[in-house]
Amino acid sequence: MTVRIALTGPFPRSEVLVAATRDGDRGRATPEAVEARYAEAERDVVALEGRLGFDAVTGGSLRWADLFRPFAEGWRGFTVGPVTRWFETNTFYRQPILHAPPERVPGVVRGALPGATLVPPGQAKVILPGPFTFAGLLDNRSGETREALTHRFGRLLAEEVRDLRAAGYATFQFQEPLLVVDPPEGPLAEAAVAAYRDIGAAADGATSIVWTYFGDAVPVQPLLARLPVSVVGFDLAETEPDRIHAPPDHRGIGLGCLDPRTTLPEDPTEVARIARALQAEGKPRELWLGPGGPLDLLPTEAAARKLHVLPAAKQLLAPNGGSR
Amino acid sequence: MSGPLFPAQEIGSLAKPRWQLLGQRGEPLDAAAVREFTSWNDRVHFADASDPSVRALLEGRARELGPGPVRDLGASFALRYFECVGLTRVYDGEARRIEMYEYPIRQMRGFQFLGHVRSFDNKYYLKAAGTGEVRLERPYHVEEFDYVKAKATGIPKLPITGPYTLADWSYNEHYLGREAGWKGPAARRRAQREFVVAIAKHAIRPTLQALIEHGCRVIQIDEPAAGTHPEEADIVAEGFNAATEGLDATFSMHICFSDYRSLFPALLEAKNCQQWAWEFANRDTDERDGYEVLNMFREYDDHREVGLGVVDVHRNEVESAEKVADRIRRAAKILGDPSRIWVNPDCGLRTRSLDIAWQKLQAVVDGAKLARADFERAG
Repeated sequence: MTVRIALTGPFPRSEVLVAATRDGDRGRATPEAVEARYAEAERDVVALEGRLGFDAVTGGSLRWADLFRPFAEGWRGFTVGPVTRWFETNTFYRQPILHAPPERVPGVVRGALPGATLVPPGQAKVILPGPFTFAGLLDNRSGETREALTHRFGRLLAEEVRDLRAAGYATFQFQEPLLVVDPPEGPLAEAAVAAYRDIGAAADGATSIVWTYFGDAVPVQPLLARLPVSVVGFDLAETEPDRIHAPPDHRGIGLGCLDPRTTLPEDPTEVARIARALQAEGKPRELWLGPGGPLDLLPTEAAARKLHVLPAAKQLLAPNGGSR
Repeated sequence: MSGPLFPAQEIGSLAKPRWQLLGQRGEPLDAAAVREFTSWNDRVHFADASDPSVRALLEGRARELGPGPVRDLGASFALRYFECVGLTRVYDGEARRIEMYEYPIRQMRGFQFLGHVRSFDNKYYLKAAGTGEVRLERPYHVEEFDYVKAKATGIPKLPITGPYTLADWSYNEHYLGREAGWKGPAARRRAQREFVVAIAKHAIRPTLQALIEHGCRVIQIDEPAAGTHPEEADIVAEGFNAATEGLDATFSMHICFSDYRSLFPALLEAKNCQQWAWEFANRDTDERDGYEVLNMFREYDDHREVGLGVVDVHRNEVESAEKVADRIRRAAKILGDPSRIWVNPDCGLRTRSLDIAWQKLQAVVDGAKLARADFERAG
């Protein structure tokens, strides 16, 4: 079994970047000065990912105001809506308002990723909103049903994946908290499967990951097993590890083993124990370890401390790893 | 509840006037701030123009005055504002407070502030971790209560952040760290319960005791986080009980902008809560369906008072007195007992201008009068 480690969502902004963005908003810093702090912070995150030996690099999505903002601002059909609570957290996103069927604008996602000189595409993990969560969390005034919209986002994101594949990107993760917080049934569940069928076809040999978080995935496992992707990730703060079943087709499993709702670092030996149990049960081809949810629920130093658990757990899982 | 039906109460913070913000920073008041001060003083008579502090503020000498006397004036202003508009239960509009999390946590031991977390866009808040046993450094809000008590002609009602919210907005290192093995959902829930009860017992309760010793008799416990984790409503209730059990005061619980149905029936275990102060107007339509959730009290045979939100704090449009009266009538009909109703805005009015807030409070008071007259006529 191959063990890989990586970020699974946004990394928190550093205190320096916090101060810079505040100053920028208050007119106390120029846009150039704020941009310089962004670039510096992004380099720091990439360097941290490198030092920790991460198998895919994200740059921390520091410029993404929220999971949907590049799309709400860059694709056609949207406006940026009101501040809305982000699941059961004390953080918020601006709800996209969809006024017409959405249209992809090529280059928007690429423009929101770290530059290729900082993160070479072949080493990058591209983190995108999942089609089910995207369609479910926006304010849909487009006239399309949620089912149709879910499928449409699948097609649009598949186009995005194709373009990025052509540019050398090979690892794609789709954020799907809503799949476990408000699981779909009937036609809506079928729409989610259809959306991932399109994405899976576009991925064409690349790694495609569906990452679930903020909810218990146990009741949704049969649906998750139907999604034609390489890896399905679980948030272990919400899903009891001993209730996760490895998929029957030996595909990969993601273990969201860092809980971003507490600063308390996890124990790498516990993470390794859980991973071994899943390995014994289902023999997944690969195992991705990462934060269970968005790590930007933590201040930056606490988040960085937690990330050190990942290489330690990976080390323990190596064939000649540490003691059990 | 004795006395006239539908008494009105404040529910939270009020916008700080410009003169207070400038003055407490030591900056001289500009012409707009002086005008604001004098026009409100003409209306609610909160300051004696011959007082040396007032003269120093208005004459541009705020720096030599220092922030304390300016905050005193801010508290006096808000108190008189509420009294003059006709509220029965009043406070100082939280004139001395900036927020509701950091200040209480800084009065406690067992916490460590770790840095900023993004709320949204480029807005952040400072967040602490519970790293040890929770203990109170010193009771807080006591001095501000003393000031209000000395000045108030209405009944002071003190707002304080509740134990569940303080725990939920913090990281739980200490209690979660004591859990053995993998810290999954069950372990997190146990640790959350311990954390909430520890804050309630060892920090909120002694603060409430000190406030009561100083004469505080009406206390609103704010639990805005309660609505974000409905599955933990039982822990909210347990924290409330641990903080208030056996204490001699009237306690209410304010929760804003939630799906209240999801909190039933677990929240009803907050036995020492005499009043549920909730938001209703924000979700109301012309069909008055915003108040349908009150049916839950009938279904669960709960007969406590309701602090009825009758004006929306998120819109500038000022509700008419008739609309407010209609909302009260609807609520009274559902509850079956008009004497259980206090009226108030949905939440604090600090996001509205002082003029709009005044008009909204006037609608609350006037609407209550209309509804009261109806009930009195009906005998």
